Amino acid sequence: MRFDEVVLAIMRAVDGQRTVSSPYHLIKGKKSGQTIQDIGYFGLHPYFAVLPKLDKQEYLASIDRLQTQGYLIPDDNSVRLHRSAFDLEIPSTPLNGWKYRGNENRFFARLSLVVQTMSNFMQGQKRFDPVVTDETVQTWAKAYLKRIDFRSPAVQEAFKNQLESSLALAKTTEAHKDILVERLSGYGVGGLTWDQLAMEHKLLPIDVKIAVVEAVHAWLDVLEEMKHPMLAGLLEGIVQTSALTESAKRTQSLAERGFSLKQIAELRQLKTSTIEDHFVEMAMNDPAFSFAPFMEEHLFESIKRISVELKSMRLRDIKERLPEASYFQIRLALAMRGGVT
Amino acid sequence: MNLEKLLYDAYGYTEFRPGQKQVIEQVLAGRDVLALLPTGMGKSLCYQLPGKVFPGAIVIVSPLLSLMQDQVAQLKKMGEKSVIAINSFMKPEDREKAWNTLGTYKFIFVAPEMLVQPYVLGKLNALGISLLVADEAHCISQWGFDFRPDYLRIAEVLPKLGNPQTLALTATATDKVTDEIKHYLKLSDPFIYSHPMDRENISYDIRKFDNDHEKLEALMNLVAEYGGPGIIYAGTRRKSQELAERLLALGIRAAFYHGGMEQQDRIFVQQQFANKELEWVCATNAFGMGVHIPDIRHVIHFQLPSSIEGYVQEVGRAGRDSLPSLATLLYAAGDERLVESLIMDDLPERHEIELIYERGEEAKQLIEQGMMRETAYRIISYWRERLPLQGTLNQIERLKIEKQRQAASVRGLAHSSGCIRQYISMSFDQKTPGIPPNCCSFHGIDHSLFKGNRKELKASPHGSWKERLKVLLPI
Repeated sequence: MRFDEVVLAIMRAVDGQRTVSSPYHLIKGKKSGQTIQDIGYFGLHPYFAVLPKLDKQEYLASIDRLQTQGYLIPDDNSVRLHRSAFDLEIPSTPLNGWKYRGNENRFFARLSLVVQTMSNFMQGQKRFDPVVTDETVQTWAKAYLKRIDFRSPAVQEAFKNQLESSLALAKTTEAHKDILVERLSGYGVGGLTWDQLAMEHKLLPIDVKIAVVEAVHAWLDVLEEMKHPMLAGLLEGIVQTSALTESAKRTQSLAERGFSLKQIAELRQLKTSTIEDHFVEMAMNDPAFSFAPFMEEHLFESIKRISVELKSMRLRDIKERLPEASYFQIRLALAMRGGVT
Repeated sequence: MNLEKLLYDAYGYTEFRPGQKQVIEQVLAGRDVLALLPTGMGKSLCYQLPGKVFPGAIVIVSPLLSLMQDQVAQLKKMGEKSVIAINSFMKPEDREKAWNTLGTYKFIFVAPEMLVQPYVLGKLNALGISLLVADEAHCISQWGFDFRPDYLRIAEVLPKLGNPQTLALTATATDKVTDEIKHYLKLSDPFIYSHPMDRENISYDIRKFDNDHEKLEALMNLVAEYGGPGIIYAGTRRKSQELAERLLALGIRAAFYHGGMEQQDRIFVQQQFANKELEWVCATNAFGMGVHIPDIRHVIHFQLPSSIEGYVQEVGRAGRDSLPSLATLLYAAGDERLVESLIMDDLPERHEIELIYERGEEAKQLIEQGMMRETAYRIISYWRERLPLQGTLNQIERLKIEKQRQAASVRGLAHSSGCIRQYISMSFDQKTPGIPPNCCSFHGIDHSLFKGNRKELKASPHGSWKERLKVLLPI
């Protein structure tokens, strides 16, 4: 998937209902209530936080291209796509941003350092400049290498074989795997920069960045099956056990102890609106979430019905038809409808 | 004490590099020392080895985060495990942990702005400092090319640390700056070691052109005829990128390097260059630190450097192996305009100064809004605590004059009609050096020495990911 296709895929989902900058926040992984709830409403899980370091200029360049190609119609308020944007065939993607949340970078940093170390030791080089400077990653890699006894030739061979066989299984293109492995360094071999990769593969730098994220996500899906024990250790702490943000988790645990929304806001010294965001997040993620403390059943049903009738997720549209519902109630109801896939 | 034996036992080297032994002897004898050693001469050994002898900690104050990280990495690479760096970019929990285990470290790197915090001072005091090292000590000079106001604060905290023995290290300093270092660091009767800055194995070539077009063409001819490994310094990020593209189009293995790239990519370029996968790196002055390659044969300046100090530092990356190396400065008419605007851009302007005096700490927000530059804020907020508005305005005015002097000396380099080597030495108040063979374009250079040694670079592994994996992990 190219970066422009990522942007278009998001825009096709939110067409007419969200601003042109909303895909930017989603791709960067902004943890605001709006962004998080949109993931559930519009089924945008694959794209959340896939490029945490995305530069605004790079995003605007993509918007420019989409407008020049006629897919996107300039509009100050919201995304307006041309018909042609819907006819475009966008390849399916192994991206799973909601699950990995940028943690794939930590995985890849660990892997880079482990591969570099093995590569050097295998070839008799015990002193080298580490390719990853982050001390946390360095400490982690040191402990991991020691644990697997990386100096043993049998271990080295098993490591390499499992690396190859697991990556072979990853559901992504060979070209993506080529790019991924070109980001690894070893004895006498430096990793390639984004610009070098872009030139070699005749893509934009931002496209090769997405390619690496896609490949890593696809690879992580394979590794998570735990059939490659040598590499399983690299996953430590990479996969979120809870889909909730840290702050929402704290709200959840207070809610479970019986505190009301208002009480939680007071206890945590946060705005009510923030706590509301947390409940929306919980509604999205927890199949057993109950709306009962927040609204009557008939109101819940009405919101759902009107949203279907209007073919809209826009809060304002629904509020117009149902003035008795609060925005929070509408958001909750819509979040539950979306659910998590 | 047998220093050679100590050196061998600690690090496995059999001999010292010039200057190291003299400095270390004096440090071990308990004297304050100011050492002027060119980059690449192993400055860090001057405190590493005393660390093996002294009972207490060695505290190294280092002005730049990247420099600090590089030194820590180098120390660790030499097998030194008892090293820690403490800076304001650390996660609070990591810093907390560092403070609590401080006593277990021999070499402690600290950023100058941390040193002034009472908490930090308390921790360091409890520790017992054997030696305080001011690295890149020229940063203390207000007139220097990279003045760090925080460095002046070292002077303020020295008494609170019980005035420990001090070692000041720098690669470049004029007499004026040397005096300032002595004064501010309160060095008492220091031993001063000044290594001749002149590098005999470097030949200086200056070539002048009427316009940019000719200059560019000359560069293309240079890279076609002369071999690397080499660095081409460009004045701007954009230019470094553009030059790399041109070299690549000629089929020459090159990459660009500048501060706007993400850190991982910068490390990749350094690695590729060290591995000889690249012949040239086209770079801004961000390239250099962390580059430890002994056999760089050629440093080309495609644009005028912004100071003589910077020029000497950049050129000094060539020929660390003492073999003949070439430094080429390409100049096109009008090039000094870029330098002057870059130099003056650094200076705080009157409205910035006034804003900071008016608003104090709040002015920090203006940085985010893009209404003020960070360097300006840093420098002015330092003076604000010490001088009235007019005093600071005068101070900046003097700084401006000094900067103009710097620009003039760079201009003088490009237009000098004499020996380039002598011009450079004079700029640093050093004795006139001898004229080695192939001294400079004024005294004549035998270019056949440098031409045509283009080596075939080994092919970097291309092809499928499986093939690359085989190269990375050959089993």
